[in-house]
Amino acid sequence: MTDPSSAEIYDRGYRVYDGPRTGLRTSIKSVFVASAQRALGLRRKFRYKIAPVLTILFAFIPALIFVGLAIIIPGDLGGEAVDYAGYFGITGIIVMLFTAFVAPELMINDRRTGMFGVYMASPLSKGHYLAAKVGSLVAVVSIVTVLPSLFIVLGYILVGTGPGGFGNTIEIVAKIILTGLVVAVFYSLIGMAVSTVTNRQGVASAVIIMFFLTTAFLTNALVFQANAPEWVSALSFVELPVDVAGRIFDEPINQLDGVSTAASLSSLIGVLVISLATIWFGYQRIEVTK
Amino acid sequence: MNIAAARDTALPPSVISATAVSKSWGDHQVFRDLTAEIPKGITGLLGSNGAGKTTLFGMLLGLHNRNGGQLQVLGQDPQTAGPELRQRIGYSPEHHDLPTDVAAQDLVRHVAEIHGLPKREATTRSSDALWLVGLGEERARPIGTMSTGQRQRVKLAQAIAHGPSLVILDEPTDGLDPVQRDDMLELIRDIGTKYDIDVVLSSHLLEEVERIADNVVIISGGTVAAAGKIDELRVGGGGAVIVLDDMHEQVAAGLKAHGIDVEIDRNRLLIGGDEPIEAIATTVRDVVAEADASLRRFVPVQRSLEDLFLAEVHGE
Repeated sequence: MTDPSSAEIYDRGYRVYDGPRTGLRTSIKSVFVASAQRALGLRRKFRYKIAPVLTILFAFIPALIFVGLAIIIPGDLGGEAVDYAGYFGITGIIVMLFTAFVAPELMINDRRTGMFGVYMASPLSKGHYLAAKVGSLVAVVSIVTVLPSLFIVLGYILVGTGPGGFGNTIEIVAKIILTGLVVAVFYSLIGMAVSTVTNRQGVASAVIIMFFLTTAFLTNALVFQANAPEWVSALSFVELPVDVAGRIFDEPINQLDGVSTAASLSSLIGVLVISLATIWFGYQRIEVTK
Repeated sequence: MNIAAARDTALPPSVISATAVSKSWGDHQVFRDLTAEIPKGITGLLGSNGAGKTTLFGMLLGLHNRNGGQLQVLGQDPQTAGPELRQRIGYSPEHHDLPTDVAAQDLVRHVAEIHGLPKREATTRSSDALWLVGLGEERARPIGTMSTGQRQRVKLAQAIAHGPSLVILDEPTDGLDPVQRDDMLELIRDIGTKYDIDVVLSSHLLEEVERIADNVVIISGGTVAAAGKIDELRVGGGGAVIVLDDMHEQVAAGLKAHGIDVEIDRNRLLIGGDEPIEAIATTVRDVVAEADASLRRFVPVQRSLEDLFLAEVHGE
């Protein structure tokens, strides 16, 4: 017979809470995790998972081909097919589409559904909220900017054509992570900036795509048709991430002709600062209970 | 912070204390001299559209800075202790547009987490809160598949799941049919009485505030037009009925001589006007004594909250 003194009531119903409360870090982490889950369609119906899963699969296809070639073609020849900086050019369109889909989902949905007001009625400030959102979006976009290249390195190591030596491997992995993060931050902040200035998700997605394509078209037209200085190419937001990757990997083939590292970096930093300012000041203007 | 301990030791008699608070949005002055003490219990915040009820909620949450005056919520200044204070406040916004594709339990748990509850506690308490509001069986359903009444309950659940000391409800019965409204009012009453959570709610339906609130604050013209316990406020300004054994005409004449509006109805005198009840009682005492009449009963007439609101806001 069970000892009655060992019995406990587990379901006590709603009651006053007098337990511990965690700090802001947990609150920010909760927004970070919930946003990442939302972006990836987790804890949502199947149809919300299709786009992110397909995008991630497409980002991995070139990596699968590279590793496949290394398996099929014997010796070092297979391994030479890879061009890590160039990979960011191959997957650039996928990253752009992914950002155009995910950024409005993370930013605009909260404002349209009133969740932003619920967040602001919690211990979170606008700064905390935005930090969690930026971190979450960068983390999600990094899945398509960092992981495929790391998959290639891992595949090459397993096939035996990988970077020779521990030092080289660490260097390449570090460069992949650095480049992947820079590219993810670049795309994420632009996507978030556009998503700050409109409350329509479809419009934001279209504007993000148009924004990237227009800068590429305009800068090419200016440099090649109107004989503008070559540094203008650094304002092409399609080519800039590949250029930055080329400079991190020291691969001149992926760098923009006639554009100095200073011009490339200035363009990158300028875009990031303008994007951050747009997001920050855009959200400062939002009053949740007026 | 141990909330129960804070509840016992740190709370002042007033849950909210405002002194000469002023607030402007650009050129538009919302509050110019807002002074009120909101005690523990359930308090209804009344005011015409645009009177500043939602702005006041934003100030209580520390989301808007005041231009002047003093404001204390749960003993803290929301302008300087906003994040700490908001951990102890639950807020249910006016709108109905919660994320449609999120399960009710996921939303409530998430809101509990961002208010500082550890994950395990947040999960347990979100379930408890949803059971309390009558959505225990529906907690896994996406909010978009729920009726307006159920969504209002989800909003209430997310406001109480983290165990707040004070809950602010902005139009909690908006969009509900009469049956749903009754249920919601009963729930709010339970939360305020059974769980010792102080509640401040705004509503444009005076009758429902009258039903569940202990106190009321009426905002008009950027200041507090009336504030206090509903029972006490309803007594003042509604006149009185006095029952006399004799000397009806003499007493009526005496009251009229003091500027009091009075009618004779058989053995009763019906006193109208908007004089404070204390002033009427004093005058009646003096006139009855002077006429050497026998006063059998003195009954203050209670006004409805609607009468009070119209008198204070529109001067009717």
